[in-house]
Amino acid sequence: MRMGVILLVTAALVVRGGERAAGVDRPALPAIGQGVQVDPDYSCIVCHADKRRAFLMGVHSERGIRCHDCHGGDPTGFERETAHNGRDYIGTPDKLETVVLCSSCHSDPDQMRQYGLPVGQLAEFRTSRHGHLLLEQNDLNAPTCSDCHNSHMILPPNDARSNVYPTNIVRTCAGCHENADLMGRYGLPTNQVERHRESAHGFAMFDDQNFAAPTCVDCHGSHAALPPAVTQIADVCGHCHVLVRRSFYEGPHGDAATSGLLPGCTACHSNHGTERVPPTEIASTCTACHAADSPAALLGSDIQHEVTEATEELLGAEEAIQALVRAGRRVTEMNSRHEAAHTAYEQLGQAQHSLDLAALEDLSRQVSSISRDIRSTEEVAAEERWEHKLILIPVWFLAMSISVLALFKLRGLAKRGH
Amino acid sequence: MNYQARKPRFWRLRQFWADLKASTDPGLLGVGRFLGLLYGPIDRKLPIDQAYRKMLRYRLASYVTWRHALGGITYLLFMVLVVTGVLLSFYYRPSPQEAYPSIQYIVSEVPMGWLVRDLHVWSSNLIVVALLAHMARVFFAAAYKPPRETNWLTGLLLLWVVLCFGATGYLLPWDQWAYWTVTEVLNVIARAPLLGFFVEVLRGDVIVSGATLGRFYALHAIVLPWIAFALIVFHFMLVRRHGIAPPPGVTSGEGEGVPFYPNHLLRSFVIGVLVLAVSFSAAALFPRPVGEPANPFELPDSIISTWVVVDVSLALIRYLGVWGFTLFTLLGFTLALLPLFDRKPEQRLRHRPVALAIGLLFFAGYLILWMAGRQLTTVQSGVEVRQGEAAVQPQQDEDNTEEPNP
Repeated sequence: MRMGVILLVTAALVVRGGERAAGVDRPALPAIGQGVQVDPDYSCIVCHADKRRAFLMGVHSERGIRCHDCHGGDPTGFERETAHNGRDYIGTPDKLETVVLCSSCHSDPDQMRQYGLPVGQLAEFRTSRHGHLLLEQNDLNAPTCSDCHNSHMILPPNDARSNVYPTNIVRTCAGCHENADLMGRYGLPTNQVERHRESAHGFAMFDDQNFAAPTCVDCHGSHAALPPAVTQIADVCGHCHVLVRRSFYEGPHGDAATSGLLPGCTACHSNHGTERVPPTEIASTCTACHAADSPAALLGSDIQHEVTEATEELLGAEEAIQALVRAGRRVTEMNSRHEAAHTAYEQLGQAQHSLDLAALEDLSRQVSSISRDIRSTEEVAAEERWEHKLILIPVWFLAMSISVLALFKLRGLAKRGH
Repeated sequence: MNYQARKPRFWRLRQFWADLKASTDPGLLGVGRFLGLLYGPIDRKLPIDQAYRKMLRYRLASYVTWRHALGGITYLLFMVLVVTGVLLSFYYRPSPQEAYPSIQYIVSEVPMGWLVRDLHVWSSNLIVVALLAHMARVFFAAAYKPPRETNWLTGLLLLWVVLCFGATGYLLPWDQWAYWTVTEVLNVIARAPLLGFFVEVLRGDVIVSGATLGRFYALHAIVLPWIAFALIVFHFMLVRRHGIAPPPGVTSGEGEGVPFYPNHLLRSFVIGVLVLAVSFSAAALFPRPVGEPANPFELPDSIISTWVVVDVSLALIRYLGVWGFTLFTLLGFTLALLPLFDRKPEQRLRHRPVALAIGLLFFAGYLILWMAGRQLTTVQSGVEVRQGEAAVQPQQDEDNTEEPNP
């Protein structure tokens, strides 16, 4: 038995050796999954099978781009020396080479036109802080294209696996910006990502999956990443908060922001945290800059009063609608009214940035009026529910009367020995 | 008709006067006679009086007391449920689009609709309490022993039918509380041994949906009432045939107690009136709130249980898991099978330790689970995940796409 096995193995080795000697043997290609069509003449994958797997998942492979298009070399050579020589072989490009390599196609309108892609990434990158560090100061800590887009598995931004997909991009930026050692060299804080995650924008993006919510690139830019200038902050926020921006520029703070005296929205709301100022803290927010007895601080108190009152009225209306729902009432009309009150409340929130007290009073009155209407409807319903209990008076009167009479009758029957 | 036609007119007047006088009998028989007045010839032809007398004028056993009224209370509550259920069905629409608005309409637009609905809800709770109390009395008094074992089994089937009534009715309001409670309970039952297929058929869909609502309504309003009425009739027939079981140590007294009519019926009437008053009070003081409309895509922040059995079920599911649920159900089946093994005539509890232990475990367990279930006000975490898994058809891992070579 053992002799048989030895003979078989020996025969296999002899046949294999014969084939190699005849020059018909090639290294076995790694099979990746069933049904994969492997090109046996393409040598890169013989050694770089792991890269092939990642590359195939990316968008470049879909467009027919192959290894040697970026890395050079001779893909027909099956020996390292021949494969890594000739045809402008560059191997693994460094950060600067990567920028040049990517932009050789992505800055070429003739090539990008067919895909509908922009060609200004390199120009934008040059204006960014990242580009400035990398291209002008040759600071290799700065990111290059592949640091954000990956080197082989390059995916379009609307692919959920992409590093630059809306829910992933914060993590991508955090890869460097949460690194305290790295950021310490540039005097940058590392809590931006954490504060964004806890902000209204972070909740909207990650909890509500609202992709309209901004991430890092929506305020700072992507390839042209830079902190907005002080005078630009209100406009950056105003991209989305259009009505707030308009009110802001109508008020005195708008002028201050334009002249650079006020850091726009971040003066009250901070930057990455985008903290909402609660209605009860409006006045104290004002006194952070204005003297407590100044007219501006008094105006802040008046605004706080209006906003607080409207908030309480609106909450009361919501509770009233909940009570109506629980009582089985139809609340379609109440919901419409509440929507009107809520719209006025939202307008109040926007208008307070103009510091126009008369407009605020008017909107607050609208909120209160509609909310009280809703609450009065609920009070009427509650009154009706209370009146339902009055039915117990005749019920128990009848029950007790009948019971007493029946018991008397039973007693009488018992006495008669029935 | 010929009978009337052959008599002269004055005779018919005299007969009518005689019928009228008989109808003024203050006793219960007068009701029948008064109805007979409306169809006098039939009344005179048929021995209705005799039938009444046979039905009513007999004496109960001397040991029948107030505590034997629990069965009657259960029946009364069942009839309240029937009447209020019929009234509700005039307005209720069993479809996902209309169910919730129809409940709102009943509660807020239909005159006294709120009362009818809340009486229905509260009677469904009180009947479970009365039924279990009735069952406990029978169990601990060993009234399930021969020759009454068939009636014990019939009673347990009636308990099962009442539970099915409540379970199928629980979904009908189609609000968030009903929807997610039913979803959670069905998910658990589906994982219990042998019950997965049953749940699939009952649910009729991968999630609780309009198909489920239709099935539950059909069972609640069409199938179960027939079964219940048949079982009730059989139960009462067996009670009449075998009589009320004597308490331990009593061997005589059959037919020596008070007359069924008027004494016992009057006694039952008092209890019935008081039970009705309690039902009205519960309905007026603690109306069943209405949740948000059912939404399969959103968990409610909290749930309010409105049926005692749901409290028990949720407590079993949350605290003991699917196996606890299964074991407690098996304990209930053990009660059903007890008469097959416990056939000795011994009635005293201290000589029936096994039966006592099983009974205490079941009834005390039910009480404890009920109180524990009242504390649960949230939907079990993860129930929406299972809901989502059920809603998504299983996808096969087909990683055989042909990859081009780079």
